[in-house]
Amino acid sequence: MIRKLLISATPLLLCLTAGIAVEALAPRLPLLSLEISAGWLLVLAGLAAGFLTASFFFLHWWHGIRVESAVQAEKQTQVEAQNRFLRRLDHELKNPLTGLRAAVENLEESASENLLPATLPDIRLQVERMVRLTGDLRKLAELEEIPLEQSAVDLGDLLERIVEAAQAQPLGTGRDIRLVVPRVPWPLAPVMADEDLLGSAFFNLIDNALKYSRKSDAVEIRAANHDRQIQVEIADSGPGIATEELPRIFEELYRGANARSSEGSGVGLALVKRIIERHGGTITVHSRMNGATGSIFTVLLPASGAGENMTKR
Amino acid sequence: MNPPAISLLLVDDDVSITGQVGAFLTRAGYRVQTEADGARALEQIQALDPDLVILDVLLPGMDGRAVLRALRAGGDRRPVILLTKVGKASERALALEEGADDYLNKPFSARELLARIRAVLRRAHDAPVPLTSAWKLTAGNLILDRRARRAVLNGQTIAMKPKTLALLEYLMTHPDELMTRERLLNAVWGWEYPAGQRTVDTRVAELRRALGDDAGQPAFIETAPSEGYRFIAPVQGEK
Repeated sequence: MIRKLLISATPLLLCLTAGIAVEALAPRLPLLSLEISAGWLLVLAGLAAGFLTASFFFLHWWHGIRVESAVQAEKQTQVEAQNRFLRRLDHELKNPLTGLRAAVENLEESASENLLPATLPDIRLQVERMVRLTGDLRKLAELEEIPLEQSAVDLGDLLERIVEAAQAQPLGTGRDIRLVVPRVPWPLAPVMADEDLLGSAFFNLIDNALKYSRKSDAVEIRAANHDRQIQVEIADSGPGIATEELPRIFEELYRGANARSSEGSGVGLALVKRIIERHGGTITVHSRMNGATGSIFTVLLPASGAGENMTKR
Repeated sequence: MNPPAISLLLVDDDVSITGQVGAFLTRAGYRVQTEADGARALEQIQALDPDLVILDVLLPGMDGRAVLRALRAGGDRRPVILLTKVGKASERALALEEGADDYLNKPFSARELLARIRAVLRRAHDAPVPLTSAWKLTAGNLILDRRARRAVLNGQTIAMKPKTLALLEYLMTHPDELMTRERLLNAVWGWEYPAGQRTVDTRVAELRRALGDDAGQPAFIETAPSEGYRFIAPVQGEK
C-alpha cells in the first residue's frame, strides 16, 4: 500500500526535489517570470492531486490483476498436477485389478478343472502390488508431518551400510558397486539427519541404479565436501533417461519408458525427493543416452554446524 | 466333547472384511460373530460376552475408538484389537491411551491377525493389567515409564533416542512373542522399507548396548536366528 502510494507520488516528489536542487545549486539561472493568479494555482494544485489519486488507484488495480493471475496460474498447475496424479493412480490400479478379475473369472468358470494352484500365485502377486502401492502412498503423505529424529550422522558410515544392504539383496549380487568417501585430509562433515529416513532415500537411489541398468553396468556412489554442503552422487552406466522424461521422474507415480514394466510402485523417487527436501537438501539428475550413457543423481545436503570449520576459507 | 470354542466379535462395516476374515478365523477354530455398526457393537458385547473384540476404527453409528473408550469407561477389560487404516505414530499413541491390547494396520493379512489374537489371548490370561495399556512396565531391574518416556536400569536413567525407546516399549508390551523385523518396522517405524531389516538390527544392537544386554546370553532381548527378536524377560504392568 505504502509502496504504491510512493510510486504514484514519484513524479511530484521528483519535481519537488529537482526544484529545490536547482534553487540551491544555481540560484542565478534566468528567472522565468510567470504571473499566476491564486485561482489558477488552485486549479493546478487540484489537477496534481487528482493525477496523484488516479495513478494510485490505477497501480492498485493493476497490481491486483497481476496477483490474481499469478494465483490463478498456481491453482491451474496444482489442478493439473492433481489430475495427472489421479490418471496415473487409475492406471496403476487398473493392471492389478484386471489381473485379479481375470483370475477370479478363471476360477469361476472352471469348477471342474483344478486351476487353483496355478491361479493363486497370480492373485497373491497382484494383491501384493496394490498393498505396496497404497503403503508407499501413505508414506508419501506421512512424510509431510512425521517428526524427524535428528542426530549428527556420519554419511560415510551410513553409505557403507546402505551399500552393503544393497549388495546383499538378489538385485545386487555380483554387481559392481563402488563407494568413494573422502577420509584424507579431512573426512566428510557430519549431517544433521534422521538416519533411518536418509538411509532409505540413499538405498532407494542405489536400488534404482541397479534396477535400471544391465548386470555388466557399474554403479558408483561418490561423496564429497562441497562448501557448506555434502554432495553425494549416485551414478550408473545404464542406458540413461530421455531428456523429456527428466523433469517428470520425481513426480508421484510417473513411469519412464524404461520403468514401465518394472516392479516398483512408481513412488520411490517422489519419496526420495521429499526425504531430501525435509532435510533441507536438493536432488537433481543428469543423464545421457548417447556416447557414455548413464545417469547421475546428485544429492546436496547442508553440513551440520560442527562441520563448518572444515570447509574451505 | 470339544471344549467350548473361544468367541470373537468382529466389528467392521465392510462385508468383504467380515466375510473373508471372519471365514478365516472360523476355520482357525474360533466362534466368530460380526457386527457392522459401532453403537450396536457396544450392545452386542454386553449381550454376546465375547472373549475378544476386533474393532475397526471407522464405523457408522459410533467410531471404534469411542466404542473402546465407552467399554473401558464401564470397567470392561476384555481384550480388544483395533484395526486402523493409517499407521501414524500419533494414532498408535492414541490406541495406547484408549487401552487397546494391540492394533493392526489395514491392509493386514488374516494370518497376521490370527497370530495377534493368539498372543493377546495368551497375555490376557497371564497379566492382571494388559501390558499395552499399562503406564509402567517392569522387567527385573528394568523399569520403563511410558508417560515420562524414560527407561531406568538398576535405578539409573538410561539415555536413549526416541526411536530406541519406542522399540523397547513395543518389545516390552509384547513379551515372549517372536517379532519379525517386518513387524517391528511396521509397528515402531510405521512403515517398512527395503533397507529396513538392517535398520532394525542396528537399533536392536544400540538397545542392547544401552541395557548392557549380552547378545550371546541375553537377559532381555533374544535373537531368533533368521526370524527376528523376542523379549524374554517376564514383564509386569502397572496402571
